Amino acid sequence: MSDVAAAVALMAPPPEAVKAPAYTAEELARYDGIVQRYARHVYNIAYRMTGNQADARDLSQEAFLRVYRALRRVQPGAPLESWLYRIVSNLYIDLLRRRPKARVESLDAPIDTLRGELTREFPDVAANPEAVFEREHIDGAIQQALGVLSPDLRMVVVLSDIEGFAYEEIAAILRVPLGTVKSRLHRARQVLQVRLRPYVEARRRGWQP
Amino acid sequence: MNHHRAGRLLSAYVDSELTAAETRAVQEHLLDCAACRDAYENLRVARDLLAGLPPAEPPAAFWAAIRRPMMRPATAEGASGGWAGRMRAAWDSVVRLPWPGIAGRRPGLVLAGVLVALALAVLPLVKGTVDRLHATEIGVDLYVHDHAMQMGTAPLVDRAYVGLVAGDAELVLAGETPRPVGDIVR
Repeated sequence: MSDVAAAVALMAPPPEAVKAPAYTAEELARYDGIVQRYARHVYNIAYRMTGNQADARDLSQEAFLRVYRALRRVQPGAPLESWLYRIVSNLYIDLLRRRPKARVESLDAPIDTLRGELTREFPDVAANPEAVFEREHIDGAIQQALGVLSPDLRMVVVLSDIEGFAYEEIAAILRVPLGTVKSRLHRARQVLQVRLRPYVEARRRGWQP
Repeated sequence: MNHHRAGRLLSAYVDSELTAAETRAVQEHLLDCAACRDAYENLRVARDLLAGLPPAEPPAAFWAAIRRPMMRPATAEGASGGWAGRMRAAWDSVVRLPWPGIAGRRPGLVLAGVLVALALAVLPLVKGTVDRLHATEIGVDLYVHDHAMQMGTAPLVDRAYVGLVAGDAELVLAGETPRPVGDIVR
């Protein structure tokens, strides 16, 4: 089976009646191999996309459930990155569609409460200049900056800068033209530049994490 | 290469994703342009910041769940649970169709729109049937009247045609004694 056909098989909605297929020990070992090889990456991408553990877990578990169901249709040794990450991407978009209100709100928008509008409080680097040096603080700031991006832009940044894929691979994973990958990255980085300015400047002054 | 174009290419330049010719052109521009050198440095550092993120560590429960995915309880898709589960899965798949955004924001408005459209479709149908049934009443012959009534309930039959058939029934066959109009039905 070709890679594309396998991908199509995996993308298909799961069958109604879920019955554990009776896999042989060899097939189960193959599945374990896939888990070994991809699970951390899948989880990491899901975590950077959703920004929280619970959703990241649900998403990556769902992705592997699909792999498990379609195991017989997956060619042994075939590189699964492209369509496994596409599944994650599609599952995330699916998640947004089911829960639009939970995610779409902007971090800058004030929150409506009974006692008037509240503005979200972010750790203020101006008030605490040392914070730009703390790894944990930087990670939080990056995750927040990612959360500001639209899902399309965020996915490209995660695949490129965090997972280290080349543009051509990203284009194949997301099934968009190469030019789209370039322009999305360009736009995403404009936004990230603004959000991460204090950290970028601190680093340019010679500090290394 | 002008400043604007170089600025657009910088992001791909940082990733070494430009063609050889583009790379040379950007490099030449960087030699002349301090602003672009600064922007390039910012892009590079920001990318390195993101690349330096430690991979998120999956919780232990995650490993247990994906090792044998079928062992875990039903997924969010309501795949198990018999009849109720299937109904919920069907409903979920309807909800998850790519509805236009307004369906999510103003469900009441959309429902009202659907009801109006439904009313516009059903009203002529009902009224048409009533008109046809009235048309059958023109006739006096009981036999013809019965059949015209049946014809009148069919939605695609023309009202005037029903009237013509029902009305024509008063014509008598050659040789038959003429009946007074209306003595059978009325």
